[in-house]
Amino acid sequence: MVTEEEIEKVSKLMRIGIDDHKEYVEKVHMMINFFDILDSAGVESEEISMPEIPISKLREDEHIPFDDKLIERLNHYKGTYVRAPKMSS
Amino acid sequence: MNLKISALDYVQEVKTGNISAEDFVANTIERIQNVDDKLHAFLSVNEDAINQARAIDKKIKSGEKVGDCFGMPISIKDNMCIKDSKTTCASKMLENFIAPYDATVIAKLKRQDAIFVGKVNMDEFAMGLTTEFSAYGPSKNPWNVEYVSGGSSGGSAVSVSALECVASLGSDTGGSVRNPASFCSAVGYKPTYGLISRYGLISYANSIEQIGPLTRTVKDTAFMLNLITGIDPNDDTTIDNKNEDYLSGIESGIEGKKIGIIKEMIGEGIDPAVLSATKDAIAKLEGLGATCEEISLDMVKYSVAAYYTITATEAGSNLARYDNLRYGYDFPLDGYEFNSYISKARRKFGPEVIRRMIIGGFVPSAGHSGKYFLKALKVKSKLTKEVNGAFKKFDFLISPTVPILPFKLGEKIDDPVSLFLVDINTVTANLTGKPAISIPFANSNGLPIGIQLMADSMHDKLLLQAAYALEQTVRLPEVPI
Repeated sequence: MVTEEEIEKVSKLMRIGIDDHKEYVEKVHMMINFFDILDSAGVESEEISMPEIPISKLREDEHIPFDDKLIERLNHYKGTYVRAPKMSS
Repeated sequence: MNLKISALDYVQEVKTGNISAEDFVANTIERIQNVDDKLHAFLSVNEDAINQARAIDKKIKSGEKVGDCFGMPISIKDNMCIKDSKTTCASKMLENFIAPYDATVIAKLKRQDAIFVGKVNMDEFAMGLTTEFSAYGPSKNPWNVEYVSGGSSGGSAVSVSALECVASLGSDTGGSVRNPASFCSAVGYKPTYGLISRYGLISYANSIEQIGPLTRTVKDTAFMLNLITGIDPNDDTTIDNKNEDYLSGIESGIEGKKIGIIKEMIGEGIDPAVLSATKDAIAKLEGLGATCEEISLDMVKYSVAAYYTITATEAGSNLARYDNLRYGYDFPLDGYEFNSYISKARRKFGPEVIRRMIIGGFVPSAGHSGKYFLKALKVKSKLTKEVNGAFKKFDFLISPTVPILPFKLGEKIDDPVSLFLVDINTVTANLTGKPAISIPFANSNGLPIGIQLMADSMHDKLLLQAAYALEQTVRLPEVPI
């Protein structure tokens, strides 16, 4: 059983501001508690299988020219750099 | 003009000169203008569609080579990039995002002279199964506008069912093509994982999601697969299908095939009308020469929890890119410190996206990953073993696509767990990578019921043959709008 305080802490770490406690924390709490059903699945000894793609199957790591200057589409593009918010107050 | 024709009939009619692409597309646009105020399938309409159709007619008249679609009007879920077009993912976060490139599926369809009549509605970032989480309001079910369309590819299903296009592309992460197809009486297809490139599909949960067609007939789905499947150097998870022709042999029938009835998908909570339709479908398949037998897949009861744990984790990572610097909307920088700026900007996400991001941060976090994320991956592995075992005995697995009938708008929106459980029959195909199809099969009090068939990986062609056989046993009422 998770606590609402734990959920609020994770939200802050993920840079998600929460105003409406009922809309977010309570519903997330309900959702995560639903996941507790996984405890009764009896899969503790199960191996996790992951698909593997060999390096030989990956495409060549080569530059593919793109005719659009995507950086110019950014909201805060200033000609030679992109402006971002200051890192500390 | 009869807009209720299949994709294959459309191609034939235009090819033989019985109708022009321009007339058909113009009538389709008129249809959208007439009915979409009530249905809200479309988020944007291609204003140049009629001109594009006219250009295709010119090519036909001049004897130039014309692509296999012959100007067929197709709608596209708004999470696939069409170069120089808005791609919003039904989110305010991307309300002004113009895609700088074509998704692979779009490039392939363009080469075949398809016409994209518009981008269609969905749950924001594909997180939902009713379209009620679209930032632009829900789509309505054309069979009864007080009911949900299903989702997240609800706009795709509505646009096909309500004759606003001939076919559509959706994406299916946990049933997002099959669920709305079932609720709106369309054919919805989730291919084997890797059969269709995801390049240019805005990511939600990469390890299990796939693009899939929604059409009026099973043959149309096979036709669409012929156009959009195949290996793609831009998506290393794609698999080589050796240019399989999904249409050839589609009428082969299912005599002698073995079908497993998944016990956990017709049990507790199933609507009596859905159960009755499922039994009817089984009887019809047996009448066609298949043998049907019940099978138990124990992990199905844990599949929804595993699915939401895995998808939220992947979503938490995928949505981290929306920091309003690389992708976002016009929001001034001044007065904010870096973290508070991102936190403030992310308030443009709707409530369901925020909830899933929080879950996506929580379930794989230190101290919790063993309880949630790793266990979910283990359930996924065990479920895959169970399903692989089932396909050693059976050719196909059958269940209702959704265990309940379409429900009223707003009925379940405040109960997330009740909404989760609507996915119980569809997530297995995604977690195991298997192909699955929803076939319109019945109608109860004016609301559609779909039947789901699933096959082993890369048996997509066989699956379409079975689906076609079942489709031929039913005659359904006309959509009332």
